[in-house]
Amino acid sequence: MKAALLLLMVAAIPAGAQADSQWVLEQSTLSYHMSHPMHEVDGVSHAAKGKGVCHDGQCDFLIAAPVRTFDSGDTNRDLHMLETTKGAQFPMVVVKTHFPASELNDSTLYADLEVQFAGQTARYQHVAFQRSGQGKDVRITGTMPATCSDFKIERPTFLTVPIKNEIPVKVEMTWRNAE
Amino acid sequence: MRRTTALLALSLFLPLGFSEIAGKVAAAQAPEATGSVSGAVTDASGTPVPHAVVVLKTAAGEGVATAESDAAGKFALTHLRPGEYDLTVSGAGFAEKKVHVIVTGTPGLLDVALSPQSQPPANPSAPSLSDLGFSSQQTQADPKLQALLQKRTEMLRMHQRLGLITTIPMVATLFTGGEAKVEREGEGTATPNTRKVNDTNLNLHTALGAVTGAMYGMTASYAIRAPRVPGSHKHGAIRFHEALAWVHGPGMLATGVLGIMAYKQESSGEHVHGIASAHGPVAVITTLAYGTSMIAVSWPIHVKFWEKKQ
Repeated sequence: MKAALLLLMVAAIPAGAQADSQWVLEQSTLSYHMSHPMHEVDGVSHAAKGKGVCHDGQCDFLIAAPVRTFDSGDTNRDLHMLETTKGAQFPMVVVKTHFPASELNDSTLYADLEVQFAGQTARYQHVAFQRSGQGKDVRITGTMPATCSDFKIERPTFLTVPIKNEIPVKVEMTWRNAE
Repeated sequence: MRRTTALLALSLFLPLGFSEIAGKVAAAQAPEATGSVSGAVTDASGTPVPHAVVVLKTAAGEGVATAESDAAGKFALTHLRPGEYDLTVSGAGFAEKKVHVIVTGTPGLLDVALSPQSQPPANPSAPSLSDLGFSSQQTQADPKLQALLQKRTEMLRMHQRLGLITTIPMVATLFTGGEAKVEREGEGTATPNTRKVNDTNLNLHTALGAVTGAMYGMTASYAIRAPRVPGSHKHGAIRFHEALAWVHGPGMLATGVLGIMAYKQESSGEHVHGIASAHGPVAVITTLAYGTSMIAVSWPIHVKFWEKKQ
């Protein structure tokens, strides 16, 4: 009798609610790459925070990092980057994504990204991320194909030669299922 | 040598932007009246829309300020320069709305009603920036810091350009140093006298040295007067660049003083002697330190920059 009651209760739970989950960003490395004929520079931040919520078969993830935490190995260059990207006026880089919860188990995850940076919002469609899981932790890696012009950033110059427009952002994240 | 030649060639074109940069610095320093835009974001029925992103842009599309609506749908954009802007409001599940606004010196109120988006609405429990636990100090805009950074960048840009231009008279002074002598009657014979025949080379060298000293002083002043950014700790190549200034700075002063002594001795018919004879070696060391400091601030140089990338 008790077993039958339990079965009824489980059956009454909506299918979507069973997939509800919350995710917390445990570790992350975000690095932008800047290219100039005389320079190849990577600016790295480990200060990103993130949260993901899956509800009713849909997932919403949010990742944010203070612009000031990106370190390229030289204070002068980082402060110039902060000025060029209006990092004091718009101190956070924020990435939002929304995708079906069913994709969470795929080895390659395709996400539409909305990136807020330097006072601009850019959208990137169908960006591929590699997923590998171990226990409650899921590791996500990929590259966002950002450009200076996407965010109306005036390209910095060195010896009057500007950097390349492409500033791809490499992402390495470890997410933990909080439920 | 080829690199030096390239730097000299590039620096010839740099003065073209001086007046423009000076104008920007002056604009950054001038105080201006500021206005604000605040209001509420709601849906079509008047229900507040939290976490809507409000972005203010110029007509050229340049971002000026951004805000996120709170739980009551309220937002505020402050410290705005008076003028005409485009205000864009976007919220999850709503179509983006664009409003043309005019900011004056007084606070402005603007309520924005969003229409539903045609595609399925986003998860109502989607996380927002406030859920991530960043401090308000990290997430709030700091227009004063932005103005400080802008002023710093403009001053260091002038420092960089003047520094490159200074290499022209500096190298020329170095090259003319060997011939900076007074030719006299009977020179090289057993009975020389002190009557000058030609002192053009000496005067040219002296004039180039004076120009170098003046330009070096201007270059240094821009670096010294550039504002410091609170909370930034120097690391990387900039430290080596600054350390070398303690070599070429005193070296430049010493070169000038020793040069004056050497000039007086040469002009009075004496051979350059004593401490003044160190003028040349000190000048060479100073120039080397100066050149190294320019390379240091450009480090790391991509060693294969001449290769074309795929």
